[in-house]
Amino acid sequence: MDNSFRKIDIDIYDEDALRDDELYETDPRDPAEVLQDAKQRQGAVRGFLAKNDIPGALTVILENAPYGANVEEAKIITLQSLLTILNTTKATEITGVVKLLSQDTQDTLMKYIYKGMAMPGWGDISGSVLLGWHEKLTEVAGVGCIVRTMTDRRIV
Amino acid sequence: MPEVFTLAQTPVTAHSFSADRSQLAVSLNSNDAQILTRQGLEWVPTVTLSEHDKLITSIDWAPNSNRIVTCSQDRNAYVWQEQPDLETGKLVWKPTLVLLRINRAATHVRWSPREDKFAVASGARAIAICSFDPENNWWVSKLLKKPIRSTVLSVDWHPNNVLLAAGSADMKARVFSAYIKEVDERPAPTAWGSKLPFNTVCGEYSSPAGGWVHTVGFSPSGDVLAFASHDSSISIVYPNGPVIHNIRMPSLPIVSLSWTSEDTIVAAGHDCRPFVFSGSEGGWQEAGTLDDTTSPRSAEPRSGFGPSNSVGRLRTSAFATFRDADSRGQSAIAGSASPTADTKLLTIHQNTITDVRPYEYSGSNVIKVSTSGVDGMLVIWDVNAVVALTGRLGGAHLM
Amino acid sequence: MNLQHSVMSNVLRPYLAAVRSTLTAALTLENFSSQVVERHNKPEVEAGTSKEVLLNPLTISRNENERVFIEPSINSIRLSIKIKQADEIERILCNKFTRFMMQRAESFIVLRRKPVPGYDISFLITNTHTETMLKHKIVDFIIQFMEEVDKEISEMKLSLNARARIVAESYLTAIQG
Repeated sequence: MDNSFRKIDIDIYDEDALRDDELYETDPRDPAEVLQDAKQRQGAVRGFLAKNDIPGALTVILENAPYGANVEEAKIITLQSLLTILNTTKATEITGVVKLLSQDTQDTLMKYIYKGMAMPGWGDISGSVLLGWHEKLTEVAGVGCIVRTMTDRRIV
Repeated sequence: MPEVFTLAQTPVTAHSFSADRSQLAVSLNSNDAQILTRQGLEWVPTVTLSEHDKLITSIDWAPNSNRIVTCSQDRNAYVWQEQPDLETGKLVWKPTLVLLRINRAATHVRWSPREDKFAVASGARAIAICSFDPENNWWVSKLLKKPIRSTVLSVDWHPNNVLLAAGSADMKARVFSAYIKEVDERPAPTAWGSKLPFNTVCGEYSSPAGGWVHTVGFSPSGDVLAFASHDSSISIVYPNGPVIHNIRMPSLPIVSLSWTSEDTIVAAGHDCRPFVFSGSEGGWQEAGTLDDTTSPRSAEPRSGFGPSNSVGRLRTSAFATFRDADSRGQSAIAGSASPTADTKLLTIHQNTITDVRPYEYSGSNVIKVSTSGVDGMLVIWDVNAVVALTGRLGGAHLM
Repeated sequence: MNLQHSVMSNVLRPYLAAVRSTLTAALTLENFSSQVVERHNKPEVEAGTSKEVLLNPLTISRNENERVFIEPSINSIRLSIKIKQADEIERILCNKFTRFMMQRAESFIVLRRKPVPGYDISFLITNTHTETMLKHKIVDFIIQFMEEVDKEISEMKLSLNARARIVAESYLTAIQG
């Protein structure tokens, strides 16, 4: 619907109406700290991958993942590390890996799978790899996990 | 075995039984409420309550005073009472308009335990607490407003007749004081607090992953609060601490819940089958479902939408499917000529469950609950017939 | 043809499975009256006036040229499809096909007359649709639609090529004769 005819947004004067920034609790961490943290995790992921510990690598990158505004760089670093993990996992091992993750980690993984699918052609993104993970994760964590990706405004 | 009734070919938006369960008030997704009377194995429409001019969103039948309250998207509520007609002397249902003082849709209504008040949730970011003013002979309302930021989707009364729980689209469940000094005696202290002037916020709890809070409910003692939100989760709150247990579900969101004892909840919604949760302050878990999809009655295999051979331009099976679906899932009826294989959910309800209600008690525990659905069905379930969840997906078949 | 179709289906399968599960998660709608305009009931995904009743939109993609965009809200969703167009012929066919559908949008009540920018076709599904149709049937319909469109375009292309060959042959025969 074209809303451009509304020259003045009267809704901003409705003090009860919820604003974008009130829809979720912002990350209390400082953006610089979040970025530093993301870089450290990137290193830790390499260590886990060297030991072929996929669940360990996923857990370290997805726990307390950066979300919200002003942390774009940290989000991109996290996405890159995550794609490395997803791309190096054998298709036959995915289900086993996903089952070992906590519910929190499963929910965050689902957010990243959709983030990746929304950026086709970017970096190392492979549609078929992401679709493979999506299918296995949905089998294990259910559609509830997808519903939470839609409802959770702490966007990664 | 659950008792299954098809009430209509339209959604049942809300339902509420009379005290003796011989009558049932429903909203069939319209501006009218229907009273149905049980005749053998069927529910027969006997009375139509017409006064609202937009969709009726909620109905509650008070068991002791035998009064029905309805509320609607027309911003109004009516209290219906059976009174002798002046001419014929026959009992008829007479409406009284309630002055809600809200300027948006009314979404949910519940009588207080003593039936001297009722609460109406609304899209005006407010809850109207209504009580009877004997001097003027009408129902007056007082609004709970702060700190509600979006449409209130549901309410539930504490057994002390004063506290009210509310779930809202601002992703919060809250406990308010709805103390009306003309009506209520000073309440004894509860787990939720002791000094309780009107609109005191006794608790505010967020849904864990940002979902609208669809349904709230106090435990029978009133000491515990449960709420379910659109992030496919259910939360159980013990106010001291507070200790909050959250269960993330693999299935679709719950929209209605009912406590059946101090340690058990039956809840249902978009997944089309009732789930049972059980626990205590130490922890809660999903105990199973009341809908045994492995039993023979629902064992018809569903087959996928295999490739069809018809190729005709724009007369392909997809469009045939659409035409059938267009006339309300016609292909769900046996004998469909559709070339594509038919799909039927394994659950009893074929669409979202809208309302879960206590149906039969044994002592203080509920032993049967009733559910109504968008599929036009009413089902009465034995609360103790819990089966383990075999498939994780009821209303969601994924290939 | 059948063999070819089943091979194609196997390649398509994970994509369609992801669309199916995402759509199932999004089709959890309810009747929701406007908080902004008194006595109105509008698809919130189109109105966009109450932030908290809109959910995060999600993309399902195989690649840049084949993707589905789902924008959920409390009482309605928008689903947009970008249909694969490998070459100029497929692009023309897709364009003709979707335009044909759009112009007849009123007979498919869930079809939006104007697609969301970047997509070829958009559906608007409201709580009224999930109430008057069984919601799992709507999911089936969308998935079938995607399969059929894919098939339809490859078949139109095949028959177009076949006709071109016949025309060329008769033209050449005429010249040679």
